[in-house]
Amino acid sequence: MDFKKLLWDLFYDTGKPLSQFYAWAHNLWMQTGLPGFILDVFFQLVIAVVIAVFIALNAIWIIYYERKFAALLQIRKGPNRVGPFGLFQTVADTVKMLLKEDINPDKSDILTFWAAPFIIFAASFGVFLVIPFGNGLIAGDVNIGMLYVLAISGLAVIGILSAGFGSNSKYSLIGGLRSAAQVISYEIPMVLTVLAVVMLAGSLKMSDIVAAQTGNPLKWYFIPQIVGLVLFLIAGNAEINRGPFDLPEAESELVSGFITEYSGMKFAMFFLAEYTNLFLTSALAATLFLGGWQGPFLPPVVWFMLKTYFIVTILMWARWTFPRIRVDHLMAFSWKILLPIALLNLLITAFLIKVI
Amino acid sequence: MTTQELLEKIKGKIQIVESKEDLGVLNITVSKSALKNSIASLKDDFGFDHMNFMTAIDLPADSCIEAVYRLYSNTTKDSIVIKVKLDRKEPKTDSVAGIFRTANWHERETAEMFGIEFAGHPDPRRFLLTEDIINPLRKDFTHPDFNPMPKV
Amino acid sequence: MNNYSNIPLQASNNGADEYILNMGPQHPSTHGVLRLVLKLEGETVKDIVPDLGYVHRGLEKLFENRAYGQIIPYLDRTDYLSAMNNEWAYVMAVEKLMAIEVPQRAEFMRVIFAELNRIMSHLLWYSAYGMDVGALTPLLYAFREREEIIDMVEAACGGRLTHNYYRIGGFRQDLPKGFFDMLKKFISHFNDKVDEYEALLINNVIFMKRAQGVGVLKKETAINYGVTGPNLRASGADIDLRKQDAYGVYGRLDFKACLRDNGDTWDRCKARMAEMRESLKILKQCMDMIPEGEVMAKVPKIIKPAAGEVYTRVEGPKGEVGVYIVSDGTEKPYRIKLRQPSFSNLSVIKEITIGHKIADLVAIMGSLDVIIPEIDR
Repeated sequence: MDFKKLLWDLFYDTGKPLSQFYAWAHNLWMQTGLPGFILDVFFQLVIAVVIAVFIALNAIWIIYYERKFAALLQIRKGPNRVGPFGLFQTVADTVKMLLKEDINPDKSDILTFWAAPFIIFAASFGVFLVIPFGNGLIAGDVNIGMLYVLAISGLAVIGILSAGFGSNSKYSLIGGLRSAAQVISYEIPMVLTVLAVVMLAGSLKMSDIVAAQTGNPLKWYFIPQIVGLVLFLIAGNAEINRGPFDLPEAESELVSGFITEYSGMKFAMFFLAEYTNLFLTSALAATLFLGGWQGPFLPPVVWFMLKTYFIVTILMWARWTFPRIRVDHLMAFSWKILLPIALLNLLITAFLIKVI
Repeated sequence: MTTQELLEKIKGKIQIVESKEDLGVLNITVSKSALKNSIASLKDDFGFDHMNFMTAIDLPADSCIEAVYRLYSNTTKDSIVIKVKLDRKEPKTDSVAGIFRTANWHERETAEMFGIEFAGHPDPRRFLLTEDIINPLRKDFTHPDFNPMPKV
Repeated sequence: MNNYSNIPLQASNNGADEYILNMGPQHPSTHGVLRLVLKLEGETVKDIVPDLGYVHRGLEKLFENRAYGQIIPYLDRTDYLSAMNNEWAYVMAVEKLMAIEVPQRAEFMRVIFAELNRIMSHLLWYSAYGMDVGALTPLLYAFREREEIIDMVEAACGGRLTHNYYRIGGFRQDLPKGFFDMLKKFISHFNDKVDEYEALLINNVIFMKRAQGVGVLKKETAINYGVTGPNLRASGADIDLRKQDAYGVYGRLDFKACLRDNGDTWDRCKARMAEMRESLKILKQCMDMIPEGEVMAKVPKIIKPAAGEVYTRVEGPKGEVGVYIVSDGTEKPYRIKLRQPSFSNLSVIKEITIGHKIADLVAIMGSLDVIIPEIDR
């Protein structure tokens, strides 16, 4: 096989060499006579490890990026001491977190208190299964991909609630309850906007949604669905509890909300989950509205990352600019403004699909 | 308005025990029983709508504690100081927190600093200090942690 | 529930979802060490009891054992954000007791530094308030300009936070060379910056929705509670001690009191923003009008005022800063009472927060601009 061709395939059509490799390995395995599912489980584990490593590396970068970006907005330098340009600041912070004492508050509910960071992290980890990073570079291209994303990411609220309940702190409890109300309210406009995209693409499968947008930027869904994109960004930002919707952890009101009582690595898990969620929301926005990994010249993975980080930057910009919204305004905003607009958007989309 | 004119004006309504002028401000002393009415009258009849502060001065030489109220009128720009002499052993007077609500906290502070009891105060708890410090602003206050500056 | 033994709050158990929340003394938005005990129903504040005294240092007792000149540095530590206004109230009181005439140049310098301190204090209020309502960027923006003022003040007196610059009779030393160049540079661009601040936080739609109609303080209530300063003027009362008393050389300067009508949180913010602009106007005039000459009056070596009592007050950034001195004719004061604005300004909090949400409580408390060491003394 031509080496140059393989390299090209690896970058631009990653699905092909991967499936060839899988078929080759499967063949080899079958010759030994062992049952095939063991190999499948092994491959799944490899994929999980790859995703975990990606999350960790990405978190290191995205946290650094947010701090530098915030510094840019705030006329200061940001991290610049650890490593070149302060790139290893997050690593240093992680080491610090690992060394910190793991405190269990008095009379805390140990089970829920311990489960919370894992539930929250697992929810964001699970969504990576269906994120199309490149042409064929998708862990499990299930045909209900979008539904799976919405279902799994909704699990995070259980983690937040159990963190609020298990901490035995009133601040945590208020934070948890706020979060539950917020995530549930904003899930509805988010689902409705996603639904409009799904109607355009005619499929819930992520690779189909990307393929339906084609390589032509004029056919990407942000043009017919510009309202949907804005709605998705607002609702998505609220879903992941980041400013200006960071009410569950509103520092000036609730100290740190549901993470008040957490320390050490458990706190780091929340932190990791927050930034992973930020990446996920941006990745979904890029996939649904900006043509996913498609784009001229550059390899798909690069395009995907560029688009994702473009959205990440917008979300960060909003976070560092706006003051926090109040809890009753937040609810009113979702139910009285976002929901009608999303419904209208859905109706108009449906109407236009029928007419055109 | 000069202090003399002011004194003439308020004389009819308020029973003044003693009055003097101190750096251009009228100081009147009233009796303990007339305090509440005097302040209410100054507020309602003479337009003294702003209470700057309320405090006390410990005078062991005269064996009394003076409670000092300072009022100001935003309309006529007059100031007036009302003093009432209290028995040092058992200082007790009426609360004026019902007339000027700002007096609520001022009286609470004064009460714990001087041990004055304000009758009819809406919230007579301690304000700034812990339970073990008793009447610190009295001149004869002693505390194991409190040493006056040594003479040089 | 021993911690609440001295707090007269009781959550009712008969079906209502009430509970007691202890906010502070270590809480991000209680500005130092204020403790608020709240009775909440859901997120709605039903009752509120402030608990003070965590930074009580017994200043008034300390003063009784200090010579008159030694008291000035302590005053910097009451309201540390506008130290010079406190110093001014005190030195004015002693000067009044001893009938000392302050040189004209010193009088203008006092106005300059008082106004610089006012801007400094308002800038810090602005940045801290941004944090209170969840906007993190205004903090750094306001600190950029505050730094310029601090540099100016540092050039003059060597101190950045606790200045200890005013003296009984005038000033320790004259202004340094190049001070007016720095001031001119500051004045030339600060107005634009205030516009920037206003656009960034105060006129933001999210913030306006949060602030308008929240924590309304009626004019009569405010006066009855002894509220002073921008908080009072936001309620529509035309009371500015710089105009009422015209102390120093304020009588010769042209400025206006910044009034608002509604007395809600937003108006209090707007009043402060407007005050910064007015302060800038005053600074401009002072720069043109300041005469040459001495900065220190003839003051006896040992300060020994005649027996008597005096109360002077200045318009600090937060309101009426007053000093009440009782002198018995010795070199130490017999009694000093500090009347600090935050004391009365905070006492109104129960009146205006009940029925609002926790988030509003934070916004209202921030808009009152209280500083706790000033209350505890």
